Amino acid sequence: MHLVIISGAARPMPKSNTAKIIAAFRKGFEEGGNTAEVWYLSDRRQWQSAREAFANNELILFALPLYVENIPGIMLEFLEGLPPKAQPGTKIAFLIQGGFPEASQLRCCESFVQTLPPYFNCEYAGALIKGDMFGVNLMGEKLGSKMVLPFEEMGRSFAKAGRFDDAEAAAFAGREYLPASTLRKFELIGRPMQKFFMGRIAKSLGCKKKLDDRPYALR
Amino acid sequence: MTLLIVNTLSAADEAARAAIEELTAAVQDYKVINTEGLRISPCVGCNACWLVTPGLCAIKDDYEDILKDYLQYDAVVYIAGTALGFVDHRMKNVIDRILPLVTMLTYIVDGQMRHVMRYEKDFKCGLLYAGSADKPYLDRWLGRVAINMGGQSLGAYPIESVKEVLACIS
Repeated sequence: MHLVIISGAARPMPKSNTAKIIAAFRKGFEEGGNTAEVWYLSDRRQWQSAREAFANNELILFALPLYVENIPGIMLEFLEGLPPKAQPGTKIAFLIQGGFPEASQLRCCESFVQTLPPYFNCEYAGALIKGDMFGVNLMGEKLGSKMVLPFEEMGRSFAKAGRFDDAEAAAFAGREYLPASTLRKFELIGRPMQKFFMGRIAKSLGCKKKLDDRPYALR
Repeated sequence: MTLLIVNTLSAADEAARAAIEELTAAVQDYKVINTEGLRISPCVGCNACWLVTPGLCAIKDDYEDILKDYLQYDAVVYIAGTALGFVDHRMKNVIDRILPLVTMLTYIVDGQMRHVMRYEKDFKCGLLYAGSADKPYLDRWLGRVAINMGGQSLGAYPIESVKEVLACIS
């Protein structure tokens, strides 16, 4: 089985959370002799190759970060210029990752991608969604690799059926909403910790202002 | 009520011109931004506006003025083309670049995580779209965008239905 993976992330590949998730997923998918190729839309020089790979193959996975409740603008631009397949039979699956922890935050985007395959004369092969991925790059190599490890198993699973199993994807997505006890803990302990640790990360990145700085005047 | 209008259709588009004329006739204080000809790059998700230069986008193009304008008007009406049943990439790029208005810090609103707003601003936004699109989905999407911006959606309407968005503004 050969899989074409197209990353819809706008962030350049070396610093892309989506790219790290793709790498883990690909590792699991390629076990047992499957093959995969990856194209990154963050590099416009790859767009033509991505179009050709889409045209010449029958199993496609779009992997993307959630951008303001939907797919990133550059991925939308790519799709707008993508010709539909002449023949039916191609399957398109989606992998959507976001920063918020609740699965419910990704459902609006999932609803949109479900509508996409028919525009390209293709079949929908399911979507894998996962939140809490904001820190993949920020947390460093060791912790980041641990965060994306579960995607390896999803790659293995996807290889078995050539699509995402709905029940498995639902379990992988995790809780739709966080339980009240977790929310209370977050308000009490999580928020101050978040401010402290993100402040430290920001400082290490050269930030000289408060994270809630207001550079513009409000009328 | 003061109004910012962000039009990603051609400035010469007849439907857009008619909509803008009707909108601007109904409010005294407004600003129209036609993005045609402006340099507005897609967001690259670098997080600099959250973690390096809080509130400032790392991409130096024509978008910064739009960011400032969001803070100067009571409501914004977007005028967009459509693609794949949704707004087209020109409008999505404009919306994606809005992130400097929120911080990366989060808190709980109605049982869900939300960004802490950078400014004390009630962000009201409406959408007029030209072409074929899934209106219920656009309403849902815009509603979520508004919630995450700490504001409220005025709804998504076909471009001919300016009166409906005006009814929500006034």
